[in-house]
Amino acid sequence: MSSNADTLFALFPELLVAVAAMAAMVGGAFSRNATVWWFVCITGIGAAVIALAFGVTVLDGLVALDNLGMITRWAGLILAVLFLLVGHSGVRTKAAGEFLGMLTLVFLGLMLAGVATDIVLLFVSLELISIPTYVLLFLGRSDRRAAEATTKYFFLSVLSSGLFLYGLSLLYGVTGTTQLDAIANRLSSTGASDFVSALLPIAIVFIFAGIGFKIAAVPFHFYAPDVYEAASIVNAGVLAVVPKVAGVVVLIRLASSIAQFETSLIWQIAFVLSIMSMTVGNVCALWQGNVRRLMAYSSIAHAGYILIGIAVGCAETSLGMDNGSGGFAASLFYVLVYAFASLGFFACLAHLKGKDEEEVDDLDELSGLSHHRPWLGGIMAVCMFSLMGIPPLVGFWGKLTLFSGALQTSQSAGWETAVGKWFVVLVIVGAVNAAIAAAYYLRVVGTLYFGDQVGNKGVVGSRPAGYAALVCGVLVVALGIAPSWLMRQCRGVGQRVPQSGSVASVEAFDQSSLTSESVESMLSANP
Amino acid sequence: METLLVITVLGPVVGALGIAVVNRTAPSLSRQIALATTVLVFAMTAILTRSFLVAGSEVLEFAVADLTWLSQDSGADIRFSIGLDGLKLWMFALSALLMITSVLVSWDAIQKRPALFYGMLLLLETGCLGVFAARDIILFYIFFEFTLIPLFFLIGIWGSEQRRPAAIKFFLYTLAGSLLTFLGLLTIIVWVSNAGDSGKLIFSIPLLTEELAIHPLPATLQAAVFVALFAGFAIKVPLFPFHTWLPLAHVQAPAAGSVMLAGILLKIGTYGFVRFSLPMLPVATAMFAPCLLVLSVAGIVYGALVALAQSDIKRLIAYSSVSHLGFCMLGLFALNPVAGQGAMLQMVNHGLSTGALFALVGMLYERYHTRAIDDYSGLAKRLPRMAFFMLLFTFSSIGLPGLNGFAGEIMILLGMFQRGFAEAPLRSGALMKIVAVISVSGVVLGAWYMLWLVQRVFFGPLREPYHDDQHKVVDLNAREILALVPLAVFVVWIGVCPNTFLKPIERPLHLLIQPAAQRWATEMADLERPDNQADEIGLTSIGEIQLDCLDEPEEVCDDVL
Repeated sequence: MSSNADTLFALFPELLVAVAAMAAMVGGAFSRNATVWWFVCITGIGAAVIALAFGVTVLDGLVALDNLGMITRWAGLILAVLFLLVGHSGVRTKAAGEFLGMLTLVFLGLMLAGVATDIVLLFVSLELISIPTYVLLFLGRSDRRAAEATTKYFFLSVLSSGLFLYGLSLLYGVTGTTQLDAIANRLSSTGASDFVSALLPIAIVFIFAGIGFKIAAVPFHFYAPDVYEAASIVNAGVLAVVPKVAGVVVLIRLASSIAQFETSLIWQIAFVLSIMSMTVGNVCALWQGNVRRLMAYSSIAHAGYILIGIAVGCAETSLGMDNGSGGFAASLFYVLVYAFASLGFFACLAHLKGKDEEEVDDLDELSGLSHHRPWLGGIMAVCMFSLMGIPPLVGFWGKLTLFSGALQTSQSAGWETAVGKWFVVLVIVGAVNAAIAAAYYLRVVGTLYFGDQVGNKGVVGSRPAGYAALVCGVLVVALGIAPSWLMRQCRGVGQRVPQSGSVASVEAFDQSSLTSESVESMLSANP
Repeated sequence: METLLVITVLGPVVGALGIAVVNRTAPSLSRQIALATTVLVFAMTAILTRSFLVAGSEVLEFAVADLTWLSQDSGADIRFSIGLDGLKLWMFALSALLMITSVLVSWDAIQKRPALFYGMLLLLETGCLGVFAARDIILFYIFFEFTLIPLFFLIGIWGSEQRRPAAIKFFLYTLAGSLLTFLGLLTIIVWVSNAGDSGKLIFSIPLLTEELAIHPLPATLQAAVFVALFAGFAIKVPLFPFHTWLPLAHVQAPAAGSVMLAGILLKIGTYGFVRFSLPMLPVATAMFAPCLLVLSVAGIVYGALVALAQSDIKRLIAYSSVSHLGFCMLGLFALNPVAGQGAMLQMVNHGLSTGALFALVGMLYERYHTRAIDDYSGLAKRLPRMAFFMLLFTFSSIGLPGLNGFAGEIMILLGMFQRGFAEAPLRSGALMKIVAVISVSGVVLGAWYMLWLVQRVFFGPLREPYHDDQHKVVDLNAREILALVPLAVFVVWIGVCPNTFLKPIERPLHLLIQPAAQRWATEMADLERPDNQADEIGLTSIGEIQLDCLDEPEEVCDDVL
């Protein structure tokens, strides 16, 4: 089938990444030379970057190379390089090949999640992030706490995948197709039958439950603090960044397709999750002493901010307001901004060594760090201020787009209407939370700059991690001064463009027929 | 001129980068670079100010640089748009002036990590200059928030014993308020884009003001936005009872930090009220003005009384700031041209006199390492030059005729009395009279605590705190005098010919407070009309609720809000 060949050709960058990952994993069994496999992975990603820059940009079918897809692919590759730099120190463990291979696979999953428009491929790509993460967590640390945390993550993650899959299966059951475009068309042509209106809300709830786990939204967040705390710094960074970006991308993809058929529930769920996540995350973070636990709660809180954008986008789509407030775009922008700032902080931590040559655990070990390592302290402070949302760093633009989008939605719905009022409430909760969040981020900055020197004298661990931190710090500042480009790329994401050809393709799908690709990918997902 | 303004605003950042570059090789060079940068910036500011004055008072805006920042297709046409007008001019110039003083005051006092210190100081300068120059609402907010970062580090690293909690409290308190301000500003932008014809988001402050005059926000929304803006600006001012962060931050901050905090950063709050609340939300301003006047006068009296009871010099001056800023707020919300001009002038006056007083306290602390009033007595014998400057700035602060404080205070009080006795809105006429009368007591109390301070510290029998004899205490040296003389020059200059300084303020201020003042006037006329029909007053597009409000007793109004 020529369309298969086209799809494969379009996914050439992903294939290159996959080949590198496989090579590292298989070859790791024969050669223990970690540096070689590290270079293999980097080369694979570098080749993928070139392939992506000169590759196919237009395609219909199983994958969508739209803005959302392309941004996610680029973000996936950039994050992959940065994480390989951060994880360079992890290479010294025995299973270096496996570690690097798994780490690379995670980003393959992220890239696929961006382009997938078939719900089966969406599910598979999310699993491609989860399954290597289980392995990474086991490889990272080998004490009892790590084992417990990994087990906890494994079971909860499998449960959430199950819920997500169940939601997707309901979607398939209602429409009889796995293609998102076709699903949307089928839903619009069937209209509001009892069958659809009964099953669609259930599907939406399950989808949110599944994605909520990935992005660590309350009440699906319970694993995060424990798992982050017990994981190594690299793994905590992977957990904080990759599933969140992928989850948001998938949520945007799904919500922009189905939001218009469920007028209230979909944005209300996002709304409630958003308020809960922001508040719980920020308040609980206030008294954390462990850096990774602190970042876990910060990650939960940021899931809440991102969900503001999702709620706005869903309300915009489902209430049929075309006001260009761009809730989905704001979410995507925000999650990327969050990813770089958060990763920058984790990279700084990975660059350091704490007590007894171990990784940094307690915030107090960072006390007075900036006296000895001014640049490192500076990068950490910049990342913290960006997460806080202080201008002129990029985090501010994230909050600006989210808040102004929500206010625009409130305005379009009318200030006096219930919807309008709720969105004002959402924005106020967001602003109050931003102030609460400042308290614990400032505690970190205060420890770095005002604390007395104890313990760590700024002993350098892994040098490449330092480079990754520097790149993140520069990105956070540069994007803060010139956010225009990234905002423009994110703009228009999640707005449905009606395709003339897709109506015909719906007719081609039979109720019982799956495309051969999706059957294959479904089989590979269930070993 | 536009280019010069851009260079002036961004110049300190270049200086800070320069310091970062030389940091590794020659950290001691950083203070020279900082001084050179600030002097250069002040020279450019002087040129800008001069050409503004030469251009005459007909020019409303001057040296407008309007550069694309976020392109239109990124969804928000936020521009790097800066320019000067009569309201900004003096605060802009004062920022540049006080920064020289700040650098000179820190010259020997800062031994720990000098490069970082001067870098932060220069970043703070860009923040201050930018806030006053900004013509774009988001750009304003960016500079507004950005000033927090350098000051946070200035207090936290180079402050006294309790610097860490002071820095964090300062940051959190201000940030919490300004986030609500942010929402208020966003609401204004969104409203205008919806109500306006173009449907695009507008970020330019002059354009927004114009658009809001055509499509005013409904009364309830105005009240909500006013409260949101109030949250940030009132904390920044700080208006009683939101002042609790100020004494702590002032006492703990290094001298340069205190100078900038008192001299410039507090004024961002009052400037915010003039620039946003008054012209953009006239109905809400008229509605809330009585409350704000009461809070201002409470701040005046409370700040003065608490200042009287202080045993720490810095804390005393910090509370005097609360009192003086109360005067500024009183002048603004009297909604009267005379009082308004007085308030704008008083902002500059307070920056000069209190900035100088904090610098002097810093010099004193550098010599004796204590701030307790009881530790000192009769210092005029040991430090005659310092005593001279102390007395000069004290007189300026208490409003002695011939010095700058007098012109500002008398205009504020004059305007307030005019508002209270000649043109009070009927509903709160009695209240205005009481406010006007009580506010006068602030002048008396101000003279009391300041003169008493000077008397206790500088006069009487000589008694110095214990200090090791290795370094003999000497009077002000040339550098320290150089830090104070420019301020003293302006103190006298404004005192002798205040009209030079008032002239550029007059017209723009009138334009900004006019809508709210008119609102009061129509309210009066409306109540005096026998038929009490509200539908013919000028502001027909304002929602029904507000019009109902006018006829109801106050409690009902509050319920509606």
